[in-house]
Amino acid sequence: MQSEISLHEDHDVEGTDVFGFWLYIMSDCILFACLFATFLVLHAPGSPGPQLKTWLSLSDILIETFFLLFSNFTFCLAVLSLYQHKLLRIQFWLGISFLLGAGFIFMELKEFIHLASEGFRWDVNAMASSFFALVGTHGLHVSCGLIWILIMMIQIPLLKHQDKIARRRMTYLGLFWNFLDIVWIFVFTIVYLMGAI
Amino acid sequence: MLQKLFFGNLTLDSIPWHSAIIMGAGAFMLLSVLAIVAAITVYKKWSYIWHEWICSVDHKKIGIMYLMLSGIMILRGFSDAILMRSQQAIAAGTHLGYLPPHHYDQIFSAHGVIMIFFVAMPMMFALLNMAIPLQIGARDVAYPYLNSVSFWLTFVGAMLCNASLVIGDFANTGWLAYPPLSGIYYNPGPGVDYYIWSLQISGVGTLLAGINFIATIIKMRCPGMTLMRMPIFVWSALCAMILVVLAFPVLTVTLALLFLDRMFDMHFFTEFAGGNIMMYINLIWVWGHPEVYILILPAFGIFSEVVATFSQKRLFGYTTMVWAIAIITFLSFVVWLHHFFTMGAGADVNAFFGVTTMIIAIPTGVKVFNWLFTMYQGRIILSTPMLWVTAFFTTFAIGGMTGVMMAVPPIDFQVHNSLFLVAHFHNVIIGGVLFGYFAGIIYWFPKAFGFKLDEKIGTWAFIFWVTGFYFAFMPLYVLGLNGFMRRVNHYSNITYQPYFIVAAFGTALILIGILLMILQLIVSIKNREALRDKTGDPWNGRTLEWSVSSPAPLYNFAEIPTVNSLDPYWAFKQAHLAEGRVHPRDMHYHDIHMPKNTPAGFIIAMFFGLLGFALVWHMWIPGIIGFIGMMTAMIARTFNTDTDYYVNAELVKRTELAHVREMI
Amino acid sequence: MTRHHHGQPDLGTGKKNLGIYVTGFIICSILTLIAFGAVMTSQFSKPVLFFIIFSAACIQFLVQLICFLRLNVETVQGKINVMSFVFTGVILIGIIMGSLWIMWNCNYYMSH
Repeated sequence: MQSEISLHEDHDVEGTDVFGFWLYIMSDCILFACLFATFLVLHAPGSPGPQLKTWLSLSDILIETFFLLFSNFTFCLAVLSLYQHKLLRIQFWLGISFLLGAGFIFMELKEFIHLASEGFRWDVNAMASSFFALVGTHGLHVSCGLIWILIMMIQIPLLKHQDKIARRRMTYLGLFWNFLDIVWIFVFTIVYLMGAI
Repeated sequence: MLQKLFFGNLTLDSIPWHSAIIMGAGAFMLLSVLAIVAAITVYKKWSYIWHEWICSVDHKKIGIMYLMLSGIMILRGFSDAILMRSQQAIAAGTHLGYLPPHHYDQIFSAHGVIMIFFVAMPMMFALLNMAIPLQIGARDVAYPYLNSVSFWLTFVGAMLCNASLVIGDFANTGWLAYPPLSGIYYNPGPGVDYYIWSLQISGVGTLLAGINFIATIIKMRCPGMTLMRMPIFVWSALCAMILVVLAFPVLTVTLALLFLDRMFDMHFFTEFAGGNIMMYINLIWVWGHPEVYILILPAFGIFSEVVATFSQKRLFGYTTMVWAIAIITFLSFVVWLHHFFTMGAGADVNAFFGVTTMIIAIPTGVKVFNWLFTMYQGRIILSTPMLWVTAFFTTFAIGGMTGVMMAVPPIDFQVHNSLFLVAHFHNVIIGGVLFGYFAGIIYWFPKAFGFKLDEKIGTWAFIFWVTGFYFAFMPLYVLGLNGFMRRVNHYSNITYQPYFIVAAFGTALILIGILLMILQLIVSIKNREALRDKTGDPWNGRTLEWSVSSPAPLYNFAEIPTVNSLDPYWAFKQAHLAEGRVHPRDMHYHDIHMPKNTPAGFIIAMFFGLLGFALVWHMWIPGIIGFIGMMTAMIARTFNTDTDYYVNAELVKRTELAHVREMI
Repeated sequence: MTRHHHGQPDLGTGKKNLGIYVTGFIICSILTLIAFGAVMTSQFSKPVLFFIIFSAACIQFLVQLICFLRLNVETVQGKINVMSFVFTGVILIGIIMGSLWIMWNCNYYMSH
């Protein structure tokens, strides 16, 4: 058994860490899959109770979609700025991503409150419950992402001389933020567009 | 008003003062805890315990703590078994026994939950932690801090389950809590909520550990160890962890939806307003079936290691073993309906899942034959681990056969939810999982603690366990075929009673087996000098963990090894056999990069536990404190960038030379 | 396992460049508009609408994977990421399709 004598024998730390986060994203895919499955099962044709269609405003959802999509894009710009070591630009793009994401959440909350006040409450029937669970879980993930963006905005200046850590964390957040936009594609298609047809 | 915000639904009446059994158990728990606290205080070990164990991120220590947790919880789980067996042995005809249905229901539910979530899973993670990094030539797992978080979350989940014994009730719904019984209408009390939160909290821990071990195995193998040169135990762990990452989110969602139903009056699983109860059953088994494969795969891995070592022969059919594990991993996601053949699906669905269930038996058969072929013409040493393997072959085979029987839907319609089913799953879990984990614990015990376990007492414990198992569960097969259903606390037909008496006798034998294991531990600790493992290789092993001292040094390997074959340590020993002497290799010792211990894992888990308890009793202020505490601890940790240090090369050199000296 | 003694670590996330982000963003926007537009103007029959929105969703999904998540098979880590993603996807489809089939089947047989 030979031994390789080297001072830098450590494994590829960054690669391992990002891979671990990727695995977490995989588990989150399954989590959303179950919520989608539940949504579809509980929306069997002929189910009783109020229908989402009645209060649906597709134009609002379109705006929300663009907020999130644009936020996804600006976050990628923030990551690019990180690699170019341009601190102010990173903060700028992170701030824009935050505002766009916050806009998404704001509109979604408005929608929920509107639906609940009109009688489409989470406790009225299974269709409503599964709607609020699926869309609400996605919204909760986005909200956590927003808090995380704020934390990044605080930490990136602090990590000025440890850019490996900063890069790694921005990579995690980038994967997370991106993944949420991907889940949203399926949410707006299956919940809203299908619901409106 | 303020009292409601602080204490929620919790009152002094929540404690079941009237039940002698529960108060006795509670007093026993309390006295044990006080005794331990007193001992630590008297011997002034608080600082040591805090710094070296509670804050530890070392996989070896975390493995030992998982083992201790499962050891403690098996006492509670087995006590439940004794209660059930004694009740069923006497509650025949006019005699009602001493456990009314309301209590009995909680006992069988707690028994299942504890045995699966707080005995088997922690035991598995104990073995994974103890062996995996060493077997792949790594210094630790990929995320040591997350490893600590995972352990403490599991611990907190178990403690929440223990709290339910004396504060309130536990779930009375069976270990899977089917609605509508587990819904808020039929179960307004705290029982199901305790169930939900102890599982959710430990479930997060398990998911994180799954991610941890996949990353460790994929990314941290030593140079030369390709995937096809990994020990089979590592392969089985990898596949079991893949199952964890893909299956546990399903459990999380299902329990979360049940929680939403209970807390916010939602309608996922209600009988009205469009709810679909079968969806719960469907989803819970989408998780539940992979769960049992999560438990058995590492046991299979252990069998591969033990059989090869104690037959002194290379494992037969390495490649087919790997393929078998991979196929089992994939197939375990397409069989789940066999747990509810009788619940309304048509013949086409039942047939599909019946066929897939039968197919999944095939790769297991391949593995059994490979083990037998490994033993064939080997020079077999019947050490205690090997004894457990031999018991496994027969016992698991019987259990597997009854499983394939039930895979046929028409047969399953006769025996679903009968004692035949109960006998089957205990057969495979005890015969497969538990026997495997016992073999693994005895096998790796010297590596973890530095001394072997007493073989003689171990053999006697084995004899009582195996005999006890057959006496306890073979009558159940007969009863099941005669139509006796599960979860029944009393029966009017006294002709069944003799079977239950035999089963109770078997339980008594198993109890002796457990007591002997405790005795084995005590005696081995007492005689540890005589049993000491001086060479680090007490069994003439084949894999890398046996190439370091026992217990392994903090940093595992002074120099990360490079391997060029399967069974690398065996290859190394064969190559150096001719030299006939031990010599310290011409080493250049250098500083080793290690992670620092941290209290963060413990703190996060404690706050999460507070949140869980608060959610059970609707104690909003403690709940908010728990949630904020947890988030603050998590976020604060990310601001700490001083999380590792270097072990001095001098210390490494001294440790290595001390090991060489003790070998001579 | 190979050891890396070089500058850029293998995060499996592909090389960063502005062009692909802009391209991705534009394509995704167009696909979103197509899907919403088709439903909001409601000119088509139901089956056609379903086809449009699902194809748009699937294509946008792939575009986001490649342009934003930068899933690729160029590096070792990239291959591992793709493999784990594909396996997750297979299981995911199995769970959803399996559940839908079972639940539909149960509902049918228990109500006829």
